[in-house]
Amino acid sequence: MPVTSHLPRPVRPSLILLTLIGALLLNLLPWQLIGSHFAPDFVALMLLYWTLNQPRRVGVGWAFVFGLAMDVADGNMLGQHTLAYSVIVYLVLSRSRQINIFPFWQQALAMLGLLLLAQVIMAVLRLITGADMVGVSYFIGPFLSAFLWVPISNLLLVYQRKSVPESL
Amino acid sequence: MQATQPAFFKQGPKPLTRLLIFSTLSVALMVGDVHFQVLGRVREQVSFVLYPLQWLATAPFAAFHEARDFFTRQAVLIAEHRKLNDQILVARAKAMRVDALLAENEQLRGLALRQQQSSQGSRLTEILYSGRDPFSAKLIVDLGVNGDVKPGKIVVDTEGVVGQVVRVQPMTSEVRLITDRNHAVPVMVQRSRLRTVVYGMGAGQPLEVRYLPPNADIKAGDLLVTSGLDGLYAPGLPVARVTHIERPSGSPFPRIQCQPVAGIDSHRFLLILDNPPSPPPYPAASEPAAKGA
Repeated sequence: MPVTSHLPRPVRPSLILLTLIGALLLNLLPWQLIGSHFAPDFVALMLLYWTLNQPRRVGVGWAFVFGLAMDVADGNMLGQHTLAYSVIVYLVLSRSRQINIFPFWQQALAMLGLLLLAQVIMAVLRLITGADMVGVSYFIGPFLSAFLWVPISNLLLVYQRKSVPESL
Repeated sequence: MQATQPAFFKQGPKPLTRLLIFSTLSVALMVGDVHFQVLGRVREQVSFVLYPLQWLATAPFAAFHEARDFFTRQAVLIAEHRKLNDQILVARAKAMRVDALLAENEQLRGLALRQQQSSQGSRLTEILYSGRDPFSAKLIVDLGVNGDVKPGKIVVDTEGVVGQVVRVQPMTSEVRLITDRNHAVPVMVQRSRLRTVVYGMGAGQPLEVRYLPPNADIKAGDLLVTSGLDGLYAPGLPVARVTHIERPSGSPFPRIQCQPVAGIDSHRFLLILDNPPSPPPYPAASEPAAKGA
């Protein structure tokens, strides 16, 4: 979150869990109706967001758990999403202080790179295990996700930006 | 320094350590899943937890489809029903046609066989229609003068005698059926070589053998074949089978009813036989044609 003039409200863990589950729900929508390649990966997006926002709470463990859920939900090879999510979340963790002070649109660029990296990791894993080469359309999803970064970040910050009662 | 760090700053293992742990776990998962297929249980458990979410995600779409189906179903079903009905009609008509063709084919085969077997020349002809006169049993066939048909020629089907040509037009000819009233065919009982004459009794009626003595050697089931005595019918053609013999007390003659062997009114194709070689002339006067009484 870019530097702001006032202190944000603390985030409750239940909110993190709720948004992640909501993202999982969005990912589980029947995207194949409009072409599964175009589906933005909301889970990855939310993991990145919370890792950036709450680096002390959300980390590689969460990435692993939700990656496992995605693997099972998609019927993929187990471990594919877990590894990709773990890697990108770790990268965000290691640079979170740097990225945090960027404006949103620059963060979005960073997220685009990370999400593309996740797709590349998964594609490489599939190639190693003998799948066919996927088309270029496999890498469209990250662009849509990155495009959603700014509105989603703003939306989630609405809660945190609510002014803390003076009586605190 | 580590020891003096207050608990507030303790974050557990470093992120890199965690990454290594979880990457290893991921790789282990992958290897287990792809190479050993041992993670069915894990998958089951996770999917059990995920199921409510999956249901929730797809429920609105399913409901939407359901609703749309409900509204389109009526129209679709009606259209489909109509289409299927049409198809059934077409198919049924086709099937009927096929049945008819099969039967016809069967009969044509039989006729072809008979044509080969009989030493006489013969011509295949098709029935155009049956005579409109309800008082006589007649058929109109599609061979006439053009087919070298002459009055008096015999018409048979695969089973036996059907009738006799009585009138010839340029393109058609008229066949008098053996069931026509008072049409006579000189026959003999195949079993006993008893010669007699069988008479028609009208369309749709059985045939009758008249004026046999009560002790004549004839019984139900006997086959009557042409005797060939008249010089018109080739000898040995099956004509009728005796079905019923009655000996009324008031009459000097038994009443003998017969059923034609040929399918008199069931076919489309018939065979017109050429006349057998004419016998030497009768000593006194020429033999009258057996063209009915």
